[in-house]
Amino acid sequence: MVASGDTIPEGLIGSEFDAEETDVISVRRLMWLRFKRNRLALIGSIALIVMYLAAIFAGFIGPYGLRETHQKFPASAPLLPRFIDEEGNLGFRPFVYAMESKVDKKTFKRVLTPNTEVKHYLHFFAKGTPYTILGFIETDIHLFHVNEPARVFLLGTDKQGRDLFSRIFYGAQVSLTVGLVGVSLSLIFGALIGIAGGYFGGLFDDVSQRIIEVLISFPQIPLWLALAALIPPTWSSVQRFFAISIVLSLVNWGGLSRQVRGMVYALREEDYVIAARYASASNWRIITKHLLPNTLSHILVIATISIPAMILGETALSFLGLGIQPPMTSWGLLLNQAQHTRVLIQQPWLLTPALFVVVTIISFNFLGDGLRDAADPFSN
Amino acid sequence: MTRYILRRVIAILPTLFLITIFGFLVMEAPAGDYVTSYIVREYGHGNTEAARIEDELRSFFALDRPVYERFVTWLARFAQGDFGDSFDLRRSVRDILNDRIGLTLTISLATFAISWGIGIPLGVYSATHQYSKTDNFLTTVTFVGLGLPDFLLALAFLILGWQLTGEVLTGLQSVEFLDQPWSLAKLLDLLKHMVIPVCAVVITGTAWVMRVMRGNLLDQLGRDYIVTLRAKGVPERVIIWKHAVKNSLHPLIAALGQTLAWLINGFTITSIVLELPTIQTVYLNATLQQDIYLAGTILILIGFLVLIGTLLADIILAWMDPRIRYE
Repeated sequence: MVASGDTIPEGLIGSEFDAEETDVISVRRLMWLRFKRNRLALIGSIALIVMYLAAIFAGFIGPYGLRETHQKFPASAPLLPRFIDEEGNLGFRPFVYAMESKVDKKTFKRVLTPNTEVKHYLHFFAKGTPYTILGFIETDIHLFHVNEPARVFLLGTDKQGRDLFSRIFYGAQVSLTVGLVGVSLSLIFGALIGIAGGYFGGLFDDVSQRIIEVLISFPQIPLWLALAALIPPTWSSVQRFFAISIVLSLVNWGGLSRQVRGMVYALREEDYVIAARYASASNWRIITKHLLPNTLSHILVIATISIPAMILGETALSFLGLGIQPPMTSWGLLLNQAQHTRVLIQQPWLLTPALFVVVTIISFNFLGDGLRDAADPFSN
Repeated sequence: MTRYILRRVIAILPTLFLITIFGFLVMEAPAGDYVTSYIVREYGHGNTEAARIEDELRSFFALDRPVYERFVTWLARFAQGDFGDSFDLRRSVRDILNDRIGLTLTISLATFAISWGIGIPLGVYSATHQYSKTDNFLTTVTFVGLGLPDFLLALAFLILGWQLTGEVLTGLQSVEFLDQPWSLAKLLDLLKHMVIPVCAVVITGTAWVMRVMRGNLLDQLGRDYIVTLRAKGVPERVIIWKHAVKNSLHPLIAALGQTLAWLINGFTITSIVLELPTIQTVYLNATLQQDIYLAGTILILIGFLVLIGTLLADIILAWMDPRIRYE
């Protein structure tokens, strides 16, 4: 680690900055320049910002509520807005035809027939089902809305007739936060135990290392399954959400702790730590003022890299029915209906939440890669 | 070397013991036991008789004994290679594992061989043509591949397969071949069913191997000894394959430790989704039904395999690379 006052090796100064500006660049700025150079990391962070905003404004983006059912439209294929009407006229305002839902008396299958006489135009920023944002802003404005009896299901519905498109954004609220909560927990556990173990050594270090060794001897998924089975089925869905985060972090903190310990172990004999010790700084001060700031960027990188695994873990557990429980929903739980092959083949649109999972994971991977380069701005 | 190996083997013994305790406790910890979950399931099927004989069932499975007593008995048998009986399948755990290990290994070895077989050459190509169009393309593909969960891919392939062939390719065998002896037709049928799981798992695996290989080879190619070799006029092909690649295999070999356990319990969720008759599916069901000896044995075996794999990887590394000496 180089302190911020040091001069910068010449090869690192890009041609795009003028000499005056490059005289002194703070480490933080150098990190930002490094990060900005990685275009994929920028794309990843933008995608993630969009995703998180969409999760916050889930009620606004989706035309229907989380638990709103359309009883006459179970397992309906996507009903998309259209621009061309039955007579072939092109218009600029998107509209839908109202669908009449009838059960065929011979096949007992539900058949939807469009009523092409009335066009129902999509209304943007229109009033619809009321919802709350972040739990305290109450409103009923939706990005787009169509008046009854017409309906718009961008991604179809599930077997209870709930709009998948709306539910995906509500699911994002859970899927995108479970990883963050889980990572914060493993950061607290892992970094504390890692720093303490690396700094003090001795019995505490030996015991914690042995425990971690046992923990990381188990591959993640089998352990997740076993631990998720521990959660009592009677718990409410909010309790379950936190339980799942704890399960995810229990399996994860060991690896993080090991890496932190390794770094602290190497830093312990650095001159500035010894100097601090001779200046009779307390252990607490040395850890919080010297060791933590010097390892923080690396700790954050490790944390970012482990978020995708956690999101995937939640998806897998909920997919198998061991994770999030209704009335909450998550991407994994939405995919749960697609688990049965017969259902999936009849209703392939049930697989669309998978796309969101994949985009999120790839974005986090991009971001983690960029952060890793940025955390070490002096390497070449 | 022999001393090093001996010391390492002795050092893992306490960890092995801790793993057995941990594995047993994790299985033991959920509220209730196999009998409770059995009664609930029977009740769901309309059978109220089971609840009446609850105590008898519990003593039949010896679940009325205290935990430590069962653990000691079980551990003593475990040490002799007898893993106890599965409550649910009424068979010995050993037989169940024996039945399934063949197909489990067939799939996992196939995926392992293909992902390494493709990943290493592509990684080498990517590193030796750094920043070329192909390299940029391959690097992007790697990133996407790493973000694709194999079980979701398997689902997508299942739909695709159905649209192309009109068949739902779950399981590993068509119904008509289930109890047949092995024949050419049965083998072809197996291969056909293997396509989806193998393809789904290979994509993530290859991406990972490629990424590791590219990164390490690039690191090696920047070293001084490569410059020396070039200055001496050694052909580029020899430099890359004989010197640089050999030195950049280390992280892949170190990862063999995890691979050993992965062969038995990788792609768990893909197995479940595709209803493959592998150890992974047994593990999930056993965990859910609190069939503790079956689930516990599998979990503990996986833990053992990771430890043994890590040990083997270290030994191979020490043998391959004379610079590594552990004293």
